Amino acid sequence: MGIIIRTKHTQPFIPQPDDSMIICRCEEITKGEIRKAVYDGMRTINEVKRYLRAGMGLCQGQTCQRLVLGIIASESQISAGELGHITGRMPVRPATMDYIGKSTEHSEGVERYESK
Amino acid sequence: MSTLRIEKHPIIEEYYKGPLVHFRYDGKDAEGYAGESVAAALRAMGVRIHRYTTKEHRPRGVFCAIGRCTDCVMVVNGIPNVRTCITPLEEGMIVQTQYGLEVGEGK
Amino acid sequence: MKRYEVIIVGAGPSGLSAAIEAAQSGLQVVVFDENGRPGGQLFKQIHKFFGSKEHQAKIRGVRIGENLLAQAKELGVKVILNATVLGIYKNKEVSVLIEKEVQNYKADAVIIATGAAENMIPFEGWTLPGVMGAGAAQTMMNIQGVRPGSKILMVGSGNVGLVVSYQLMQAGCKVEAIIDAAPRIGGYGVHASKVARTGVPFYTSYTVLEAKGNATDGSVSSAVIAKVDERFKPIPGTQIELDVDTICIAVGLSPMSQLADNAGCEMTFAPTKGGNVPVLTQDGETSIKGIFCAGDVGGIEEASSAMIQGKIAATAIAQELGYIDHDTFEEKKSIYADSLLKLRAGMFAPGSKGKVIDKTDEGYTISKSILTHGYLAESELSDFPALDTSGGEHIVIECTQNIPCDPCQSACPQGCIIVGDNITLLPKLSKEKKCTGCGLCVGVCSGQAIFLVNDSYADGYGTVGLPYEFLPYPKAGTIGKALDRSGREICDATVVEVRANKVMDKTAMLVMKVPLAQIGSARFFQPIGLESLEGVS
Repeated sequence: MGIIIRTKHTQPFIPQPDDSMIICRCEEITKGEIRKAVYDGMRTINEVKRYLRAGMGLCQGQTCQRLVLGIIASESQISAGELGHITGRMPVRPATMDYIGKSTEHSEGVERYESK
Repeated sequence: MSTLRIEKHPIIEEYYKGPLVHFRYDGKDAEGYAGESVAAALRAMGVRIHRYTTKEHRPRGVFCAIGRCTDCVMVVNGIPNVRTCITPLEEGMIVQTQYGLEVGEGK
Repeated sequence: MKRYEVIIVGAGPSGLSAAIEAAQSGLQVVVFDENGRPGGQLFKQIHKFFGSKEHQAKIRGVRIGENLLAQAKELGVKVILNATVLGIYKNKEVSVLIEKEVQNYKADAVIIATGAAENMIPFEGWTLPGVMGAGAAQTMMNIQGVRPGSKILMVGSGNVGLVVSYQLMQAGCKVEAIIDAAPRIGGYGVHASKVARTGVPFYTSYTVLEAKGNATDGSVSSAVIAKVDERFKPIPGTQIELDVDTICIAVGLSPMSQLADNAGCEMTFAPTKGGNVPVLTQDGETSIKGIFCAGDVGGIEEASSAMIQGKIAATAIAQELGYIDHDTFEEKKSIYADSLLKLRAGMFAPGSKGKVIDKTDEGYTISKSILTHGYLAESELSDFPALDTSGGEHIVIECTQNIPCDPCQSACPQGCIIVGDNITLLPKLSKEKKCTGCGLCVGVCSGQAIFLVNDSYADGYGTVGLPYEFLPYPKAGTIGKALDRSGREICDATVVEVRANKVMDKTAMLVMKVPLAQIGSARFFQPIGLESLEGVS
């Protein structure tokens, strides 16, 4: 990821007919909201994520990351490769906070093939 | 049992599933096979709606079927956000349509 | 904290292969997988794989999965299921959620083999129940034994879209259409052809505009598609509404590389690899010493290459930890690298992505019809090397694109079929050897592209033997229609024989009698009374 030039859009946000289309399925964030975020100065995928919660839901951006990147890239005219990726953080899968809090070194659950 | 269940397949000899079990779906008696996914049992019954979303109250169902997308979550045994596509069906399970993060009224 | 020499994340083709290789070298290894069953996505791959014998070509993915599991079991590999890896750290510590508790492990080396997730495209109504990933449909029908729907629209004509379409028909669903926004079909021509000849129409340069919901529960009741221009913009007035209850999306895969990122591995955005991937050495090692990636997580390919990558990573670790010496490592690595190279060749290789290829390696013009309609035009076929025009019983090989595959060569007991060492080349027919009409090649070809034709069956009639994998298997005497390569009914046909054996593994060779003039065109059989292939129950 290189340096991102943050020239503000001088043109006003123009609504599009498909702005109401859901992009982030988990958090129900629309294409219009993401487009607007770019006009509000958001550039990287992580900025948009924090600004709108797109990619912050249960699936952690598994489905929408590519789509959000595509929208930011086309609105900002910056190539998708420059816009970063949603930071991979523990837990990378949905897990109840209660379980994470109780981090232990217990026995090993279900084993399909126990070695002798 | 259902027209959606594949009884005979040209390649697959048998599907990995246990005995017939009974469970509750939105307050009604339902049947499926132990060990198959809750989502599969529901699909075989013709159910496609697993939940209604929090913000826009739109219906959702199975989308990825491998536990990645979390679209198919339901309230299972009282716990919300359970991914039904990777949760094995068990005898006596209580499966409910999820409204936002909760069970809907009258369910 | 519990220690292992090697921790592998993911019990799919790559992870299991790595575990087997590591255990064979004597390493103490554990595999964590978040699913209740091992095998990753292999068990839903019920089609025969491509490649050569060393890549387990002509074997169905599901059986490869069973073999891997048996091998792992024999070696005492520990596979822990329902174990979700939540994080990996620089010092090779791994946090795993097992049974409501997070446990931490430490390893000398970690192999991340988490695979990929399906890409999606948004359109009006794409959140409606009934819109799903093609892989989701595949899981429902091939693992769970439940049809995802009855009438399907497939969006995407890559290998996943084509293979899943075919499998939907095997499960008894009707595939109404396969569409692709690109002007060309993305997957293997042979995969497209076996779908096309059953009558499924292809719409290239088409996109899906909208999924409409029904009045009862709001799930999908139809799909609106439209033609797109060169800039992929829908052309007004070209809409077609299709009566479907399920829309499957097969528009590629993205590596699930979050764990590598979480560990702090150097990442790069590589569109040809499917997105954000860790930077890897030839052995699959990331920028962090001792953390490896194998399979789709490092760049989208397919299961066969993922298995080899798993073995390479495990071999490198075995050397690093002193279980094998340098010479053994180099020897093994060169065998695996060579094997990988064979798979990464041809028209659909990772290196050919995005290129428009018009000629085969041999210089033959690639069929335009197959790229746009999914089937060969008969006139194009005469250009290819495997057309035998001699009389009597002989085979016709309709394999016209360079894909890495050679089971036909070893299947023929007479040595009639020649591919050679470069398995990407098109098969040729030997001039000296004579076909005996055994039909083994028909049943073995993973692309179902070989037909056994007899032009001297009876007065005015010939026979066509074709690969057939649908239920009910017609019996000798069954009357029906012969369809041509496009799936169009061309004449009456009678089944004279259905041949099947163990080597062909559930692919039957159905031999049908057709008027002599049609033996060059008749390529599929439709029993009368079954309008579609819904003959399963």
